[in-house]
Amino acid sequence: MGDLALNIAASGLNAQQTAMDTISENLTNANTPGYVSESAVLEPEIGGDVLGVGDGVLVTGVVQNADQLLATNAQQTQGALSQSTALQQILQGAQSVLPEPSSSGIGADLSSFWQAWDAVNQNPSDPAARTQVVDQAQNLVADFQNASQQLSALQTNAANQVTTAVGSVNTQLAQVASLNVQIGATQGSGTPANSLVDQQNAIITKLASSIGAVAVPQGNGTTNIVVGGVTLVQGSWSDTVAATGGAGNMALVAHTSGATLPTSSGSVAGELAAVNQYLPGYQSQLDATANALATTVNTQLAQGYTATSTPGSEFPLFEGSGAAGLSVNSAIVTNPQLIAASSTSAQPDATNDGGNAQAMAELYNSPTGPDAQYQSLIEGLGSQVQAVNNQVQSQTSVANAAQQNLQAVEGVNTNDQMVQMLTYQQAYQASAKLVSTVDTMMQALIAAT
Amino acid sequence: MTDVMGTSNAISYTPQIMANQMISNINASESEQATWEEQLSTGNVINQPSDNPAGAAELLQLNANLSRAQQYTANANDGAGWLSLGNSTMNSIISTLQQAQQAVESVSGATLSSTPSALQALADQVASARTQLINLGNTTYGGQAIFAGTGNVSAAYDQNGNYLGGGSAPTRTVAPGVRVAVGLTGEQVFGSGPTGLLGSDGVLAQIASDLQTGTSASLANVEGPDLQALSSAIAQVSAQAAQMGANYQQVQAFATQASNSQQVLQTQMSQMDSTNVAQVTTQLTESQQAFEAALWATSQLSQDSLVQFLG
Repeated sequence: MGDLALNIAASGLNAQQTAMDTISENLTNANTPGYVSESAVLEPEIGGDVLGVGDGVLVTGVVQNADQLLATNAQQTQGALSQSTALQQILQGAQSVLPEPSSSGIGADLSSFWQAWDAVNQNPSDPAARTQVVDQAQNLVADFQNASQQLSALQTNAANQVTTAVGSVNTQLAQVASLNVQIGATQGSGTPANSLVDQQNAIITKLASSIGAVAVPQGNGTTNIVVGGVTLVQGSWSDTVAATGGAGNMALVAHTSGATLPTSSGSVAGELAAVNQYLPGYQSQLDATANALATTVNTQLAQGYTATSTPGSEFPLFEGSGAAGLSVNSAIVTNPQLIAASSTSAQPDATNDGGNAQAMAELYNSPTGPDAQYQSLIEGLGSQVQAVNNQVQSQTSVANAAQQNLQAVEGVNTNDQMVQMLTYQQAYQASAKLVSTVDTMMQALIAAT
Repeated sequence: MTDVMGTSNAISYTPQIMANQMISNINASESEQATWEEQLSTGNVINQPSDNPAGAAELLQLNANLSRAQQYTANANDGAGWLSLGNSTMNSIISTLQQAQQAVESVSGATLSSTPSALQALADQVASARTQLINLGNTTYGGQAIFAGTGNVSAAYDQNGNYLGGGSAPTRTVAPGVRVAVGLTGEQVFGSGPTGLLGSDGVLAQIASDLQTGTSASLANVEGPDLQALSSAIAQVSAQAAQMGANYQQVQAFATQASNSQQVLQTQMSQMDSTNVAQVTTQLTESQQAFEAALWATSQLSQDSLVQFLG
């Protein structure tokens, strides 16, 4: 009798000890990213004596409280959030290149430029008024060049971010594959590979957040990685990706299959969208604004004459094209008298006529002029930044909710763990008490005989 | 799935969930606070295009319109300067012509056939009136001759009364598409060529020479066609002076209009873009309180746990 009772008590002590170990593991990993809480699975041991008393308790295993669906959901929402956040940072950078409304932006400088033409009309033969036009024109050229350079720098930075991300992605893909090998080996030997799975989860979460990778769990405990239908990790095999192309057609390509990854989630997707679509779009709108300025001004000048009756078509104010290529005609910079301010070629009228300059000043609200182009650029840029801001805001709450749902299942609830700890502690004390009681009983029996 | 208390019972709150929530609440109220603070410190609601994309574009347009309206005011004021000088010069021209006319008329008839020296004196007076008119015709405003049209000359007339200026008057843009002439060409005022008022064959030169000749035929000329030509020249100058006066009034009216439209534009812009200080201050206070509450809740995070009670 005493033998069986002691054995049962001993199995209780062991089982509670193991359960306490899982609690301890859970509590210490309460803040470890990717950690999935564990529980000991206790089962009554079959066997014992003829009367049917059991054989104590048995720990059949330690399981992870994992929920693949919630985990996938959390990874995907995090991927979408990373995409918007990456795009948001770049677009806000683009917005700060064109700080409007402002008293020193391109908009204000355009106004000053148009005003300078009326000043020429007030005294067409005054060199100072003409120099003012040249100064304002040079100011605008500097504005355009500056904005264009900054947009290009953003473009380069975003492309570099993609290249840098590709480096980490390749390392992570290889890690996932090597963990697949280890998990397979561990599970094959009959031991749960919980901490290896935790490690793998943490890496997959990073991959989801950078390239929108989706984990596809296999029956044997290993996990494949797929991005938009292209398999990057399969069991022990992993592919590498490379960034190809430049602005407009930059893409991630899988090394083995040569397939282009259809990135639609993750920070790289946001950066690629900026490199291929948004930043080139702003650049070309800025170019269009600069070209509209050159065309509007030069066309009006062509209708006028210089003080010496030379047709204005011979002396355009702006040369070159595009925001980066625009420049002020060096002949006019040297001699502002070459500005065709006069609307007449008749002499001596042309010497002090400012009719063409007057007409120029009125072009400030030309529907095809630079002001209109610039306003639509600013409105478009503002709308896109506003949209991505809103997206980030809503996706943050979605990702937070998904993370919460996952945490609720997989995370470590310390209160819960404390309650379980007390339960196991009490069960352990009870088993210990049983041992001493059986001991007392045996001593009583020995003393009596 | 909610219970009777209205709280979700689907989720078990782990410390990590709580910590994440606290962090996102703190971030949210901090960024809200930053928005209000930016609005207060800049005084503007639209500080970057994304604050209000359509509004930012409209502000750009309003700003361009405002600059233009300011330029219209500047143009009108410059025009008013020209026209004001032009008006007073025209008055001097008219009174000089009238004095000459009166002088010639007063010595007409019997007196006219008196001594040659009296005739000579009268001729000198008329000739000096012509010189005086040439000087008045060369009046300048800021270095530009106001009767030279758009010709770039330091004087509209040479010593002999030959016109050196251009054929059209300078204008100023005072409203969209509205150009007002701010000067007159010498030809508009005095007529053109040698037979113009100031020319070597003009009426004043003619009168002077007829008086000097002193024959009864030439004196009859003075009394007849010469005086007639003079009075029609005076009528011509007066008509031009009236036109100039009308332009002056027009320019002033447009100056007023331009400064009114500046005010309208400024009001419009400030309605769109100005921070409502009372409102934003209240909102800032509210979000500060929310921020402090979030911070306080965070400081309580580690305390409300079963671990605390188990000692």
